[in-house]
Amino acid sequence: MSNPERRVPAFAHPAEEMFARILDFYGVAWEYEPRTFPLEWDEQGNVTEAFTPDFYLPDQDLYVELTTLRPRLASHKNRRLRRMKELYPDINVKLFKRREMRDLMLKYGLLQEAGRIQGTAAQPPSKDHDPETA
Amino acid sequence: MLRGSLYNPSGRQCRLFAINAMATITISRQMGSLGREVAGAVGARLGYRVVWRELINQAALRAGQPEVALAAIDELGLLGLSPATAAVESYNRAVRAVMEELAAGGNVILVGRAGQMILRGRPGVLHVRIVAPERVRAARVARQHGVSLDAALAQVQASDRNRRDYLKRFHHCRWDDPDLYDLIVNTARLTVEAAADIICSAVARGMPCVADSDPGDDTIS
Repeated sequence: MSNPERRVPAFAHPAEEMFARILDFYGVAWEYEPRTFPLEWDEQGNVTEAFTPDFYLPDQDLYVELTTLRPRLASHKNRRLRRMKELYPDINVKLFKRREMRDLMLKYGLLQEAGRIQGTAAQPPSKDHDPETA
Repeated sequence: MLRGSLYNPSGRQCRLFAINAMATITISRQMGSLGREVAGAVGARLGYRVVWRELINQAALRAGQPEVALAAIDELGLLGLSPATAAVESYNRAVRAVMEELAAGGNVILVGRAGQMILRGRPGVLHVRIVAPERVRAARVARQHGVSLDAALAQVQASDRNRRDYLKRFHHCRWDDPDLYDLIVNTARLTVEAAADIICSAVARGMPCVADSDPGDDTIS
C-alpha cells in the first residue's frame, strides 16, 4: 500500500504525479525511479546509456514507464525498452501513454485542476474530451 | 478457530464439529457497500484470513502477467489498460488455481474475483453478497474519498459496470442473480458490525459445511 507518511518525490512531469495519484487512489504501493538499468557501456566499461523507469510497483513486481505521445520520443523509448528486454529478460516493464489518464480523472473527481495538467509539452489537450467531465 | 460456545447456542457437538471444519466465505460486493469492511469484521471475529488484493497480485505473478493485475485493480479504467486475451485467460486460470488452493486451506474470506462462481458447488463455502442502493454507496464514496457526489456516482456506476461485465464475460452469469448467493446483505441501514453478525450467524449455523449442490439440505438449520 502507499504510505501516507512518505515524502512526495519531486516528479519530473505532471503526468507522473497523476499516475502516482491513481496508484494511491487504488491503494497500490509504488516507488518513484528506484532503480537505473545500464544499457550501454564504452570500451572502458563505463555506462554510456541507462534507463530509469518512472515507477516500480513492488506488489506486482512491475516497472512502469510513462511515455509521451510524440512519435519520435516514443520510438526512442521503445528502442530502449527493447534493449532492456535483451539485457534484463526477467524484469517486467510496462509502457503507459500519458494522455489516457486525464479526462477520466476529472470525471471521477481525482483531479481538480485541469489546467495544471492539460497543455503540457508532451500531452496536448485531448480532442475527445467528455463534456461530462468539464 | 471459531468459538463454538459463542456462535452455537444449541451446543450440539456435531454442529460444533461442523463449525470447526475448515470453512471459506466468498464475498461479492458493490463499491461503497462496505463489503471490504464487513469482510474485515467477519475475519476478525472468526479468525479467518481475509484475501482481497493479494489474490489478484498472486495470480498475476503466477501467470507471468503482472500488468493484468494492474488492469484488474483499475476498475475505473483510469490507466487505459487492455491486456491481450491470452494474458487475461492465463491470469483467470491462475485466479481459479489460487482461489481453490486458498479454499482448500480453509478459514479464509475471499473478497471479489468471482469466488461465488469459481467455488460454486464446493462444500464448506458460504457465498455472501453485500449490496446497498446506488445513492447510498455514492454518498459513502464521496465522503471516503473527499470527492463530489457526482464524481462519486460516476465511480460507483463505472465500478458496477466493470464488475458486472467481468462476471458476464468470464463466468457467463449475472452478478445480481440471487441464486449465486447463500446470503445477500443490504448495508443501507445496517452497520458493518450488524452485517458481520448476520454472516457469522450463518457460519455458526453450519451453512459452510453443507454442499451447495445438495438438494436435500438447502436451508440454514
